[in-house]
Amino acid sequence: MMRFKRYLWTLASVAALLAMGGGATASAASAPAPKFITIGTLYAGSGNYATSSLPELAGLKFWISQVNAKGGVYVKAYHKKIKIRLVDYNDQSDPNTATTQYAQLITQDKVNILVSDFGSVLTAAAVTVAKEHKMVLFDPTGTGSSFFTPPSPYIVLTSLPTSAVWPDSFAKYLIALGKKRVAIVYATNDFDGAQDATLVAALKAHHITPVYNNGVDTATSNYTVIIHNMAQTHPDAAVEFGYPNNDITFFQNLSASGVHFPFLFTIFPGQQLALLTQNVGAKALSDTFTYPTPPLLAYNKGITYGLSLNAFAKAIKPQIKSAPNFLDIAGYQAGLVIQKTLETSKSLSQLDLRAAAGRIRFFTLDGQYKLAKSGAQLGELLPVAQLQPTKSGGVAPVIVYPQSVATGKAVATH
Amino acid sequence: MLYALVAGILFGLYYALISLGLNLSFGVLRMVNLAHGDFVMIGGFTAVVLYSSWHVHPLVSLVLGAAAVFVVGIALYYLLVPRIATTKDPEMISLVLFFGLSQVIEALAVIHFGNNEQSIFDPVFGTQPVSLLGQSLPAVWLVSGLVSLVALALVYLYLYRSRLGYSTRAVMASREEAEVSGINLHRVSAIAFGIGLGLAAAAGALAPFMLGGITPDIGTGLTTTAFAVIVLGSLGNPMGTIAGGLIYGIALMLMQTYLPSWASLLPYVLLLLVLLVRPSGLFGRQVRSA
Amino acid sequence: MRRGVWRDGAILLAVAVVLLLLPKAYSNQMLLFQLMVYLALSQGVNILYGFTGYLPFGYVGFFGIGAYGASLAMLDLHFAPLLGILAGAVVALLLGLLLSPLLRLSGAYFAIASLAASQAVYLVIANPSLQNITYGPYGIQLPNQFNPIASYYTMVVVLLLAVGVVLYIRRSRFGMALQAMRDDPVSAAMSGVPVVRERIAAWLISAALAGVVGGVFAWQTSVFYPDAVFTLSISIFAIVFALFGGVGTLLGPMFGTVVLFGMYNMIGISDPQYFQLIYGLLIVALVIFLPDGVASLLRKKGIHVL
Repeated sequence: MMRFKRYLWTLASVAALLAMGGGATASAASAPAPKFITIGTLYAGSGNYATSSLPELAGLKFWISQVNAKGGVYVKAYHKKIKIRLVDYNDQSDPNTATTQYAQLITQDKVNILVSDFGSVLTAAAVTVAKEHKMVLFDPTGTGSSFFTPPSPYIVLTSLPTSAVWPDSFAKYLIALGKKRVAIVYATNDFDGAQDATLVAALKAHHITPVYNNGVDTATSNYTVIIHNMAQTHPDAAVEFGYPNNDITFFQNLSASGVHFPFLFTIFPGQQLALLTQNVGAKALSDTFTYPTPPLLAYNKGITYGLSLNAFAKAIKPQIKSAPNFLDIAGYQAGLVIQKTLETSKSLSQLDLRAAAGRIRFFTLDGQYKLAKSGAQLGELLPVAQLQPTKSGGVAPVIVYPQSVATGKAVATH
Repeated sequence: MLYALVAGILFGLYYALISLGLNLSFGVLRMVNLAHGDFVMIGGFTAVVLYSSWHVHPLVSLVLGAAAVFVVGIALYYLLVPRIATTKDPEMISLVLFFGLSQVIEALAVIHFGNNEQSIFDPVFGTQPVSLLGQSLPAVWLVSGLVSLVALALVYLYLYRSRLGYSTRAVMASREEAEVSGINLHRVSAIAFGIGLGLAAAAGALAPFMLGGITPDIGTGLTTTAFAVIVLGSLGNPMGTIAGGLIYGIALMLMQTYLPSWASLLPYVLLLLVLLVRPSGLFGRQVRSA
Repeated sequence: MRRGVWRDGAILLAVAVVLLLLPKAYSNQMLLFQLMVYLALSQGVNILYGFTGYLPFGYVGFFGIGAYGASLAMLDLHFAPLLGILAGAVVALLLGLLLSPLLRLSGAYFAIASLAASQAVYLVIANPSLQNITYGPYGIQLPNQFNPIASYYTMVVVLLLAVGVVLYIRRSRFGMALQAMRDDPVSAAMSGVPVVRERIAAWLISAALAGVVGGVFAWQTSVFYPDAVFTLSISIFAIVFALFGGVGTLLGPMFGTVVLFGMYNMIGISDPQYFQLIYGLLIVALVIFLPDGVASLLRKKGIHVL
C-alpha cells in the first residue's frame, strides 16, 4: 500500500511537471505582448563624431515620437500596436566605451532592437558585439566595407551604400567631362581612403592617372601648402575627400590662398550644407561639386513609406529647431526600416527580423531601399551635384549627373 | 620648395606663439600643463563669438581674450598648484591634474558651444593673398607671423627688462635658490602661469584662420604639438621656442610637400630625436638627468 | 616567507574565482573583459611607475602594437590565437627594447617622450602607404578567430599573470632594488644595484604585459580600426586608475580600477550628458584631495596595504 501511494505520488508529480512544462511551451507561443519594443542605441555627446551623431539620434527620436503618438508600431508577431521605448548611452566618440555600452544594451537592458552610432569607427565596435550575441545591428551610417565582407547575417545598413561605391557616378562624370589632369587629396581614414581607391581605379581604367594623389592625416589643420602643390600640377579637376572639418579647413585655406581650381569636388557640402555654409560662406562653395544626399536630393514624389521630405522638414522642426540635415534623415530612415521590419516579421527573433528587413522594398525620403545579402545597401547610388548660387545669396544643389536624375546643367566655375 | 620654406617660416612663427606660453609655465613650475591647448580653444571660441555677435575684430578679441584668460590663469594657479606642490611626485601628479582640468574645460565648451565646427569666414584680413619673397600667401599668415613676433618681443621685454621678469628667470634657474633669496615663489609662478595661458588664448584668436574650424576637442592635439615645439627649442627657455617653432613649421611644410601622408608623424619624430640625441633642446642648457 | 607564499597563492585564487564566477552573475561580459584589460594595464603602469618612478604616458603604444602583432600573426602567418598573442607580446617587447633609450630621460621628459613614441607607432601603422603590411587605416578583421568565450578566459589567465608578476616583484630582491633606485638612484647604484639593467627589465616586463593584453583584446574585439587600440584614453585610464588606488602596492591599482572604471560606466549610463564633466572633476578632485592614492589613507592609519 505504502509503495503504491509513493508510486501514485510520483506519477502525480510527473504529470504536474509535464503539465507545467507543456503550459510553459504553450504560453511561450501566445506569450502576452511586451509593453514596449525597446530600441537601444549609442550617441556621441562630445568628441570627433558628435557633430554627426547628435542629428542622427534626433532623427531616430523624431521617428519614435511619431509612431508613439499613433499608439506605437504595429508588430506582426503580436498582431497589435506596441509603443517604442529608447535606451541611449553617450559613448563620447570613444570606440572602446562604445563596445561595453553596446554589450550593456544587449545583456542588461535586453533591447529588442540594436541601432549603432554614427559612422564606421563607432559602428565597428558594435559589429563584433552584435555578432557575439546574435543580435541584428541596424546600422544607419557605418559604411565601412569590412562590416559586410564576409557577409554577416547580423547587420542591416539602412541608408547609404558602402563608402567604396560612393564615387561610382562621380568617376563616370569626370570621364564624361573629359578631365585628364585630376588632383586628389584625401584624409587617411577608412571612409575617405576607400573612396580614393575606387576613384583612382575607375580613372585608371580609362587611362587617366591622377596628376596628384596624396593622403594626409585626418587631423590635418591646414591645407595651404597642399593646395599650392596641387595647383602646381595644373589640374583640370581637384578632389578633396575628407570629414566635415577637413572640408571646412580646405575651403577656408583655398579662399585665403587665392588659388582657383576649374573644377572642385568635396564630400560634405552635400550632407551638411548648413554647417559648411556657416563656416566657409556660400561664396566659397559656389560652383563646386559634391554628392547630394537628402535633403539636397529632395524626395517628395513617389514616396511609398513614411513622410515626404517637405512633411518631414516641417514636422521635425519643433524638435531640432532648424532645417534637417542628412543625418537627421538617416536617423529617421533607420526608424522607418525598423518600423517596416516589425510590421512584417513573423516573430521578434533576430533572424526573423533580419529576414524581414531583407524583404523590404520601399521608397522613402531617403530614396530607394534595397538590401544586399551581405547586409549592405544597394538602393541609391550617389549622383553628382553642383552648388550653384541662388538669388538670396546662398547656394543650392543642381544635380548634373547621371542624366536620368539630373535637374539642370553644370555651369563653368567663374 | 621656396614656397614651403616661406610658408613654413610663417606657420612656424604661429606655432611658436601657440607653444610659448607652455614653455613659460613649464620653465617656472616644472609642470607640463596638459590643458594648454584647451586655452587655445577658448581663445578661438572667444574670437568667433565676439565676431559673430558684435563684429569685434579678431585682433581686438585677441587682446581681450588674452587678458581675461590671464586673470583666470592666476586664479587657477592658486586654486590648484599649491595643493599638489607638496606631494611626493608633483611633476607626475600635475600631468594627471591638468589632464582632468582639460577634460573639464572640454566638457564645459561642449555644453556651452556645442560640437559643431565654428569659424569666421568673412575676409577680415582681406581677400587678396600677399606676396612675400615672390610667393603668394594668405594675408592672415603674415598677420599671425607679425602677432607672434610682437608677443615674443613682449615676453622678452618682460623677462629681461622688468623686476618681476628678473625674479621669474631666477625661479626658472632654481626654485629652491629663488625661494631662499626671498622671491615670492607663488606670486611669480602665478603670474607666469597666467601669462602662459593668456598667450595660448591669444594664439587661439587666430586659430579660426590658421587651424580650420574650432571644436571643443582640438586642445589635446595642440598641447602635444606645442610640447614638441618647446622641446625642440629647449624646455624652460621661452626664447628657444622661436627656433623650435620655425624648425617645426618648415619641416612640416616640406613634409606636406614631399611626403604628405607622413607629415603628421613629424612632431613626434622630431620630439623623440631631439630628446634622445640632444635632450637639452637644440638651443638650451642641459636639463636631463637620470 | 612561507606564509607570504600562501598568502600570494590565496590572492591569485581569489581573483581567479571571482573572475570565473562573475560572468554567471553579471551577463555584460564585455564590461567584465574591459575591466580585466584595465586591471592588467594598471598593474603594468604600477610595475613601471610604482617601482621605478617612470610614468609611461604612451603605455598604449605597447598595447596597440601587441594588438597588431597578434592580429597580423593570425592573419598573415596563420598562427593560432594563443600563439598569435605570444607573437604580439614579442613585438611589444621588441618595441620596448627599441625605446629603452628613453629611460635615459627623467620625469616629464620621459612621460611625454613615451607619449610621442606611442603616437608615432600609431601613425606608422595607420599609414596608407603601409596598407599591404598593416592594412593601414582600414583596420583589422579576425572573423575566423573570433571566440568571445575563449578570449575571456585567456584574459583571466593574463590578469592572473599580471598579478603574479607584481606579487613576485614586491617580494623579490629585484623589486627591492627597484624601489631603492626609485627613492635614491645614486646610493642604490653605489650599493651595487645594477640600476640601468634593472630599470630596463621593469620596462620590458611592463611592455610585454601590455602587448599580451593588447593581443587578447584584439582577439576578443576582432573588428577594429587602428585608433581603437592606440587611443590615448587607454594610457590615461590605466594611469589614473593606478594613481587613484595608490602605486607601489598590489591592491591599490586593482581597487582604483574597479572603483573608477565602474564609476565611469555608471556615469555613462546614468547621466550621459555630463559624462565628461563629471569624470574630469572627479580626476581633479582625486589629485587635489588624494594625491598619493587611496592606499595612502590607509597607510596613514597604520594599515599595511598589500
